[in-house]
Amino acid sequence: MANSCSSGLTPSLGTSICHGGRPTNRKKSESFYCCWFYWEMGSSVLLIVLVFFHSQNNSIKTSKYNAFNFLPVNLFEQFQRLANAYFLFLLFLQLIPQIASLAWYTTVMPLMVVLSITAVKDAIDDLVIESSLSYRMVTEKWMNIEVGDVIKLENNQAVTADILLLSSSEPYSLTYIETAELDGETNLKVKQAISVTSEMEDNLKLLSAFDGEVRCECPNNKLDRFTGILTYRGKNYILDHDRLILRGCVIRNTDWCYGLVIFTGPDTKLMQNSGKSTFKRTHIDHLMNVLVLWIFLFLGSMCFILAIGHCIWENKKGYYFQDFLPWKEYVSSSVVSATLIFWSYFIILNTMVPISLYVSVEIIRLGNSFYINWDRKMFYEPKNTPAQARTTTLNEELGQVTYVFSDKTGTLTQNIMIFNKCSINGIFYGGVYDKNGQRVEISEKTEKVDFSYNKLADPKFSFYDKTLVEAVKRGDHRVHLFFLSLSLCHTVIPEEKVEGELVYQAQSPDEGALVTAARNFGFVFRSRTSETIMVVEMGETKIYQLLAILDFNNVRKRMSVIVRTPEDRVMLFCKGADTILCQLLHPSCRSLKEVTMDHLDDFAVDGLRTLMVAYRELDNAFFHNWSLKHSEACLSLEDRESEISLVYEEIEKDLMLLGATAIEDKLQDGVPETIITLNKAKIKVWVLTGDKQETAVNIAYACNIFHDEMDGIFIVEGKDNETVQQELRSARDKMKPGCLLESDPINSYLTTKPKIPFRIPEEVPNGTYGLIINGHSLAHALEGNLQLDLLRTACMCKGVICCRMTPLQKAQVVELVKRYKKVVTLAIGDGANDVSMIKAAHIGVGISGQEGMQAMLNSDFAFSQFHHLQRLLFVHGRWSYNRMCKFLSYFFYKNFAFTLVHFWYAFYSGFSAQTVYDTWFITFYNLVYTSLPVLGLSLFDQDVNETWSLRFPELYEPGQHNLYFNKKEFVKCLLHGIYSSLVLFFIPMGAIYNSVRGDGKEISDYQSFSMIVQTSLLCVVTTQIALETTYWTMISHIFTWGSLGFYFCILFFLYSDGLCLMFPNVFQFLGVARNTLNLPQMWLSIALSMILCMLPVVGYQFLKPLFWPVSVDKIIDRIHHCMRHPLPPPIRTKLKHPSSRRSAYAFSHKQGFGALITSGKTLKTKLPKQKFI
Amino acid sequence: MKRKFQNSQSRLPDNTAVKQQQLPAYRLQLSAKEILSGFFATGVFCLGIGIILLLSAKSIKEIEINYTEKCANCAKLRENAANFDRECTCSIPFYLSEAMRGNVYMYYKLYGFYQNLYRYILSRSNSQLVGTDIKDVTNCSPFKNSPDGTPIAPCGAIANSIFNDTIVLSYNLNLSIHIKVPMLRSGITWWTDKYIKFQNPGSHNLSSAFAGTTKPLYWPKPAYELDEEDPGNNGFINDDFIVWMRTAAFPTFKKLYRRLHRIQHFTEGLPAGSYSFLFLDFPVSRFQGEKSVVLSTLTWSGGSSLFLGLAYVVTGAVTWLAFFSMMAIHLRLKERKVFFLQ
Repeated sequence: MANSCSSGLTPSLGTSICHGGRPTNRKKSESFYCCWFYWEMGSSVLLIVLVFFHSQNNSIKTSKYNAFNFLPVNLFEQFQRLANAYFLFLLFLQLIPQIASLAWYTTVMPLMVVLSITAVKDAIDDLVIESSLSYRMVTEKWMNIEVGDVIKLENNQAVTADILLLSSSEPYSLTYIETAELDGETNLKVKQAISVTSEMEDNLKLLSAFDGEVRCECPNNKLDRFTGILTYRGKNYILDHDRLILRGCVIRNTDWCYGLVIFTGPDTKLMQNSGKSTFKRTHIDHLMNVLVLWIFLFLGSMCFILAIGHCIWENKKGYYFQDFLPWKEYVSSSVVSATLIFWSYFIILNTMVPISLYVSVEIIRLGNSFYINWDRKMFYEPKNTPAQARTTTLNEELGQVTYVFSDKTGTLTQNIMIFNKCSINGIFYGGVYDKNGQRVEISEKTEKVDFSYNKLADPKFSFYDKTLVEAVKRGDHRVHLFFLSLSLCHTVIPEEKVEGELVYQAQSPDEGALVTAARNFGFVFRSRTSETIMVVEMGETKIYQLLAILDFNNVRKRMSVIVRTPEDRVMLFCKGADTILCQLLHPSCRSLKEVTMDHLDDFAVDGLRTLMVAYRELDNAFFHNWSLKHSEACLSLEDRESEISLVYEEIEKDLMLLGATAIEDKLQDGVPETIITLNKAKIKVWVLTGDKQETAVNIAYACNIFHDEMDGIFIVEGKDNETVQQELRSARDKMKPGCLLESDPINSYLTTKPKIPFRIPEEVPNGTYGLIINGHSLAHALEGNLQLDLLRTACMCKGVICCRMTPLQKAQVVELVKRYKKVVTLAIGDGANDVSMIKAAHIGVGISGQEGMQAMLNSDFAFSQFHHLQRLLFVHGRWSYNRMCKFLSYFFYKNFAFTLVHFWYAFYSGFSAQTVYDTWFITFYNLVYTSLPVLGLSLFDQDVNETWSLRFPELYEPGQHNLYFNKKEFVKCLLHGIYSSLVLFFIPMGAIYNSVRGDGKEISDYQSFSMIVQTSLLCVVTTQIALETTYWTMISHIFTWGSLGFYFCILFFLYSDGLCLMFPNVFQFLGVARNTLNLPQMWLSIALSMILCMLPVVGYQFLKPLFWPVSVDKIIDRIHHCMRHPLPPPIRTKLKHPSSRRSAYAFSHKQGFGALITSGKTLKTKLPKQKFI
Repeated sequence: MKRKFQNSQSRLPDNTAVKQQQLPAYRLQLSAKEILSGFFATGVFCLGIGIILLLSAKSIKEIEINYTEKCANCAKLRENAANFDRECTCSIPFYLSEAMRGNVYMYYKLYGFYQNLYRYILSRSNSQLVGTDIKDVTNCSPFKNSPDGTPIAPCGAIANSIFNDTIVLSYNLNLSIHIKVPMLRSGITWWTDKYIKFQNPGSHNLSSAFAGTTKPLYWPKPAYELDEEDPGNNGFINDDFIVWMRTAAFPTFKKLYRRLHRIQHFTEGLPAGSYSFLFLDFPVSRFQGEKSVVLSTLTWSGGSSLFLGLAYVVTGAVTWLAFFSMMAIHLRLKERKVFFLQ
């Protein structure tokens, strides 16, 4: 015993001592003294422990500002952003008089605006975090819990710390827990306290005097392992994970239990599993940073060129021009002057790195997040939950998702098992037919079967086929036997707190569904003791003697009970997987078997989980014999398991077939359709679940991740490295023959040992395949040398199912894809076991509205139905991405066009760092004149409407390959900007060079020139955005044309007499607007600039789809075609599962409760009072 | 607070057009037809405008006489400071074969004079020029104060380097009779400059208003004595001064110097015949560029620059070329597209 436990200790983890709960390896120096008190607080007893020094408590702080530190902390944070720091640096440069080439306010004003907008946004974000936290503050008591506390837990309470079970209300100190939050399994699990502490029961005196010392392993992420030693009254007791109730569990079926807190807060196994919380940034963010760096280099080289130009100019011309403009005293040579000019141009050309880029991006993301919050089509009425964008920084990434990792329980399924159909004695029940004998789809309107004849019926249960009830009422012997076997053959534990209100605690929800079905049809399983089962049969109470439970295990795939009926017959009832059971049937059942098999095929078509039910009447003597053998086998010391199963096999034969059951693991609405849509958009869906393989695969078929037309499905379940590798490689070889050879390009690429952040290219298999991989195999596959094999194999498959996974493994799989595929991943889940993958993925989506909040609280987006995912991706994601890309292209373009004009002007102004524009224009250009149209574009533009983007998921593909904004597109923007700036400079120059006004006066003066260039620039960039806008709302019109109009208003204001006379040295352009705007040359040159800037763009857009058509162009063509000739509504094809696949049996993966029941441990000492006996 | 009401209140988002992204909108989708006809129309427009511009530019008569070389002697003479008061005139005869009808304008044109240097443009004091503070020379470096510390009025590099050649045009009726062509020196500036942007300091006596300041370094006379004939044209509101102070955008520029006073012989403009320019009073400076004088008539579109006209014609031609080639491509590839749609 001791050996096995200490081997569980991982050496690297070390040991921490939990003496009254204090991990001493943390605070060695502190004196150790603790004293425990308790208070009784009304009806709910909460034991609180006072510990005389502060330690880590159970709360987690996330809000970072308060009213006082906001300004300094926020400013400090903002200046840590590279862009803002850069502008601060620029500001300092501008304050140096020797190099100042722009007035200080050109930078200060935008910077102030940017900083204040960001500060407001940060403040709002912080408030949002705080308010969402308050939801958890309700559980304040939990927050105050510290290590070493003894606490009381009651039925249906969620546990939020790792707790060592001390005692419980149940016999033998058993405690039932549900671990759905942890592993997605919904069956109950049992924990048992060690006997020495269980003696304390609920004696508060004893509990408060409890002074045991626990030494245990350091906090770690292994959910199924715990090793520790309890030293109590001088004796050592070994602790294992059966004594530990983990955070994330829910106490079930147990009135109360007491526990000692071992780990709290971030130390708990769940939190250790939930992975690091990292600040997520999008691909576009990274790209933007790279591009800004490029721009810097470009900027530097331009300044360098201009500085050299200046040096040459000063030597050739400037030197002689000194009569008119002497050099400054500190300029000794043209080289010195050139050095200063370098920085002056650095200041002038700084608008290449647009100051408002980052803040605009944030505003756009914020706006697009609000759309998600506002979407009525993502609102879930029954739970009253709207969709929620919890992070406002990831929107455009929603338009780029390539891999979706989904949890199963609660995400794809509703986690509700429904007894849907059955076949009894060769008769099919459960289908609903209309008068003409046509099968009818079951909907909410379909009339339910009336169970009012049965007072003990579960009102939530619904069934639609009346013939079955009629058969029951008729007293059909076989039907009665069928339901009797369902009500007897199981390990469910009933609970009847109020007379007539039965609650079943089933180890697996399927079993619960079957027993509930039997209950409703009139065979009510009411209570059990270790030796009897009480069933109310059509209102008549009967006691069956339970002789034996032949429990389920994964090899047997069946369970049986042997009972003695009140009529003193010995009966064996058996249920199990059809594949197994049909071999055990009596030959006389052959014809019935064939009919039943047909029905099973039908069930499989509907994706139902099936079980066969059979019985056997036993001879008293035969059973007696067998019973002896059985007890012998139970006592055998060697190889007991196999001996017992041999004995079981002896009796489980010659069974008489009763029928088959079909249970629907109810999918959430629209899941299969959503997955088909996702697949059409080339999004790969992987199911990562903690649940067992059979269930997962069944669900995978049901929701179309797998389908029967697939060319093959590979199962990886090896238990060591070699087998797993072998399995993975052979699968890959089958998908793409020859891919294991050295000559394969990827293999040869990998042998070159590229640097670690490399990307594995897409491999194309020769068909569609599926992959199923088990948790234990995955543990090997995720190790270093097999990672790439796993990834390459899995990525070639259309669907991947990973089962029996720990939360951390989920995250590891996501990380693996993220690392080597360099594509956007999305994880969606609802439980605490999904938190790690939600955090690991680029985008984490939480299904909200379920009981657990953990996933939702850690997610970036939350909604309550899986099918909302398609709206999130194809509508919101796609639009966000398109908008963001349009925004970035345009934004860079407009700044290049704006800034590069200075570069050309340098060649005509002696490289003297003279700007082309008025300083006020420079100040306002990004901030006022051009910000609204581009914001309007990126908040309101829709290239196709939502109907089309849902109808044609193929439209989503460009985002996955990031086609709309990448380095190539950026270079295009740059070239476009350079071209535009050339036009914008040389057309006005040519127009006014050597020219005069119609009245002979000046036109070629500097101020008129600036005015013409800046007006042309604004006209050109506004026309450009007008061309990019495809969706002209009223707001777009107001923003676009309004901005242009506003420019002229501001122009007249800034150049007005009053303002210029008031501040003659600041506003120098007096009268320029009036004298220039009435010139035909000006308007002709603006018109020409616009024509020259726009025509190539329009021509390019016209020719691009003709010469280089991409698939999206074809789809858009088709959409335009369809708009003229509306399509008929899509025909909804019912999803079919052909009979080749028989769905899985409905059992838990674990050994059942059989042993516990027969040992009598589970049964309460105080049985509910019974009317009989 | 919010949570309290949660149960009773539906959290269904509002059904407004903005929130549901359902704003009524016009979808801009340019069809091939629209694009092609747009190209065609643009071509027509450009060619039309270009031809009109070219024709009107053609109607302009212009004559330019470069006097850098021809008057080099005088310039040289003047370079020596000792000779600054020596008379040196330089006369350049020329012949107008055709009359210049209508208004005729006389420009001086400088080649390679950088009025657009950053420090040069800044070197002026607008508050001084607007007459509010005659002694404000803060922005005028490097010509703020005279060596003895008196503020310069008008200060700054621009004012200091004013063009102050005197150019006289005379019409040679015959060999002996030279008529000085009457020229107006008014009406050569923007109205806003003359009456708003430039104002003399408020004092009835101009010279006393300028008291406490000194003339710019290169100026022979103080600002209030610029125009001896017209006392209203002195100080900061002197037309020549204002014209100069409106700095040029490019290193080669021409500025309006005088305009023809259409009286006597010249009511119709400048008749054909022989003329001569007489250049007086050269400034003391070594200027590396070239100077010339330009006589020109004007049309609605301004000066004689052919650039806009040519640019429009070229653009129009290129647009048409693009139109035809796009049309060809479109027609060829359209069949493919139709096939796809079926």
